[in-house]
Amino acid sequence: MIVQTAFAANAQEKALSIRDLTKDYPGVRAVDAVSFDIDRNTVHCLVGENGAGKSTIVKMLTGALAPTSGSMAILGRTYEPDSTQDARESGVGTLFQELHVVDQLTVLENLTLGMEASRFGFLVKSDLEGRVVKTLAAIEPTIDPKARVSSLSVAQKQIVEIARAASSGASIIIMDEPTAALSEREVERLFGVIRRLRDSDVTVIYISHKLDEIFELGDNVTVMRDGKHIATKPLADVNGRPELIEMMVGRAITHDYEPRGDIADNPVLTVKGLTNHLLKDVSFHVKGGEIVGFYGLVGAGKTEVARAIYGADKADGQIDFKGRKRAASPKEAIAAGIALVPEERRTQGLFTELAIRRNIPIMNIRKLASFGVFQDEREKEVAREYVGKLGIATNSIEKYAEKLSGGNQQKVVLSKCLFADADMLLLDEPTRGVDVGAKSEIYDLIRDLANNGRAICIFSSELEEVLGICDRVFLMYDGRIQAEIKNGTEVDIPHILNVVTGGGGENK
Amino acid sequence: MTDQAVAGRRLAKQDNRLSDEMFITSLVAGAAVALFLLASILVPNFFQFQNVVNLVTNNWAVISLGVGVTFLLVSGNFDLSVGGIVALSGVLAVWFAQATDGANALSSGWGMPTWLAMVCALIGAMSIGAVNAAFVVALRVPSIIVTLGTMMLARGIAQVVTQGSQRNTNLPADFGTLGNMTMFGTSIKLPVVLMATLIFVAVFVERKTVFGRLTYLIGANPVASRLSGVDNARHVVKLYLFSAVMAGVVGILLASEFKSGFSNRGTLMEFDALVISLLGGVAIAGGFGSVIGMFFGAIILATVTSAATGLVLSPDWQFTLKAIAVFIAIMAQTWALARRHAG
Repeated sequence: MIVQTAFAANAQEKALSIRDLTKDYPGVRAVDAVSFDIDRNTVHCLVGENGAGKSTIVKMLTGALAPTSGSMAILGRTYEPDSTQDARESGVGTLFQELHVVDQLTVLENLTLGMEASRFGFLVKSDLEGRVVKTLAAIEPTIDPKARVSSLSVAQKQIVEIARAASSGASIIIMDEPTAALSEREVERLFGVIRRLRDSDVTVIYISHKLDEIFELGDNVTVMRDGKHIATKPLADVNGRPELIEMMVGRAITHDYEPRGDIADNPVLTVKGLTNHLLKDVSFHVKGGEIVGFYGLVGAGKTEVARAIYGADKADGQIDFKGRKRAASPKEAIAAGIALVPEERRTQGLFTELAIRRNIPIMNIRKLASFGVFQDEREKEVAREYVGKLGIATNSIEKYAEKLSGGNQQKVVLSKCLFADADMLLLDEPTRGVDVGAKSEIYDLIRDLANNGRAICIFSSELEEVLGICDRVFLMYDGRIQAEIKNGTEVDIPHILNVVTGGGGENK
Repeated sequence: MTDQAVAGRRLAKQDNRLSDEMFITSLVAGAAVALFLLASILVPNFFQFQNVVNLVTNNWAVISLGVGVTFLLVSGNFDLSVGGIVALSGVLAVWFAQATDGANALSSGWGMPTWLAMVCALIGAMSIGAVNAAFVVALRVPSIIVTLGTMMLARGIAQVVTQGSQRNTNLPADFGTLGNMTMFGTSIKLPVVLMATLIFVAVFVERKTVFGRLTYLIGANPVASRLSGVDNARHVVKLYLFSAVMAGVVGILLASEFKSGFSNRGTLMEFDALVISLLGGVAIAGGFGSVIGMFFGAIILATVTSAATGLVLSPDWQFTLKAIAVFIAIMAQTWALARRHAG
């Protein structure tokens, strides 16, 4: 058969075969001719840094994205899902990070939800229920099918969702960072479920940043880097974390860091023992003119540090900015001279349905008013000034922020902070979703600001970014600062990756 | 000319484009005029200057309530309590002003001088606004639920005070002065002049002040506005207090005009105030709309209902006609905005 000749002779034995899979976005190739096989009834791990292309592959597997070229096959048969529904019917189930269970229904009702309609009559339905209950009992006997889902923990809800995928006949279940919201004990329970799934003829594709989990759970691992496939091999053949990390990072990360001389002697910001629902005893200081980086993976607590300093979230501990007590609200933080570029530009940083000129003065809006009366003409002047100064590419200051590209939107958010006359800038993922050209412009701007004496904190999950511009970098994992490194030419990248994936660390 | 100068000129030229708000407001104003002209063709004697004046003066109460409701809607919050507050403040003002020596419970009150009774009634209205603010801001209960509750609370208190009826005896002679005072030697009454003043002030606040800007920001994106240093909570508290005080003034003026405190006064006014705001292009999700739009929304509604009465339709048709007007207006706005954004 034509279909089968495209694959290796033993393709029927493979749960999933991927050949030359490529996905292009305008200006960037997210996945570049990736080929690998996944053995039946294994736990297959997918690892790589942020931006390596893992989530793009997952989106193609679940039918959310169509590949630009290349092919996929399940058990030797061509697999071309055109929607997530289609993928599910082909036997590919997904455990999303946001759960899709209905709290008001019982476990059993959740498990059969949507399946009743496709079958007619009551006899079939009772048969369905029996099958579903058996599947659930096989993977997690402690969950009562009659319990209301609202009474379950997050971990148990996850398991209900896994059981739903398994009982709807999924032969492959994709799990994207499933342990992100789980406690240690719950993780152990989930692992038990995953092992039992594997033993009952289900292949699991497991994506996680936590390398310990990969070694504990996985049979095989595929490493991705910069959209390319690096290796696929049994975890038994991987020589511990160092080898895995080396594959993930590969060549030395290129970074154009240059030490800067003009850093003040005394700290402007001193943080001691910052603790809240996620942070554990975070202490550090930042000096005027210094660019400090916080590097860690998703969920390490970077955003929480930024928000606590900014007064946006509650936290215990001491924050001292220029001898002033901590800010109780963003309003106070701005008044003290701190400005935040938030993580989610479109929902937290911008008013997308307002014009550029209306966005720019917001953080310091009273500066454009005399006796409460707003000076419209001054606003236009200010907007034109910043559009010119930061090189925001637009044909009008009346254009909606919505219609700008990611890089230009971010420049608008930065303009807001600059207009607020901040002495300290907290930049949370400042170049996420920003094209390469705008990225380097933003870096130049950040260096300029620091050279003018401002203190800058960058919270980023891109190592290249923090190593490119920061003078010092704090490595975060699990809500703690695990290590501090001084940037320079001799940076031990495997050490950094070891620390931020939970390998422990000490100041270096 | 240098490239930069050309670019600068282009920037300046494009900046003068009509904003979406101006566009919708002109659309609503145009629709109001068109409807009036249409009604003038269909209904005999409709096309008279006095009729235009009547459309406004007969609706001073709802339009005044619409100002507070519009500001709150723009900030992303509902206020359904204004009708109840109209009843409560009127009843309270009368009760406080009634002499203590009445023949029965409904004809004796607190014996306060008129001005003090009115001030105290305003404080009563304001306290309903404070309850709204407390639940919406501090306890984060959805505003539609909170104000639905206070709508019933305010009217409920009014009903207890009037024993489900009304208080209209034993009042000081000057109690009816404010509501019936005519201005500038014409037949225009004080409440209408106050409404006009309120509209002018509100438009100024909305267009020209920081307070107005903040109202829009909070409605457009409350998360971003908080992170940009806006004290959302404090601002929404002010808006609820303002809306309640306006409703209180309306209630007191109506009580003065009729020299009575009636617990059913202002029934459904909260919905009319909401409807004219939406007709006037205020976005129900917040962040968009204008007081001028609301004003023309009121004119549209008034034209439709009075023309219908003139067309010998029985008054029973009023609600149905209002409904049709609302559906058409909202569809037209959605369509117009979508077209504009596509272009």
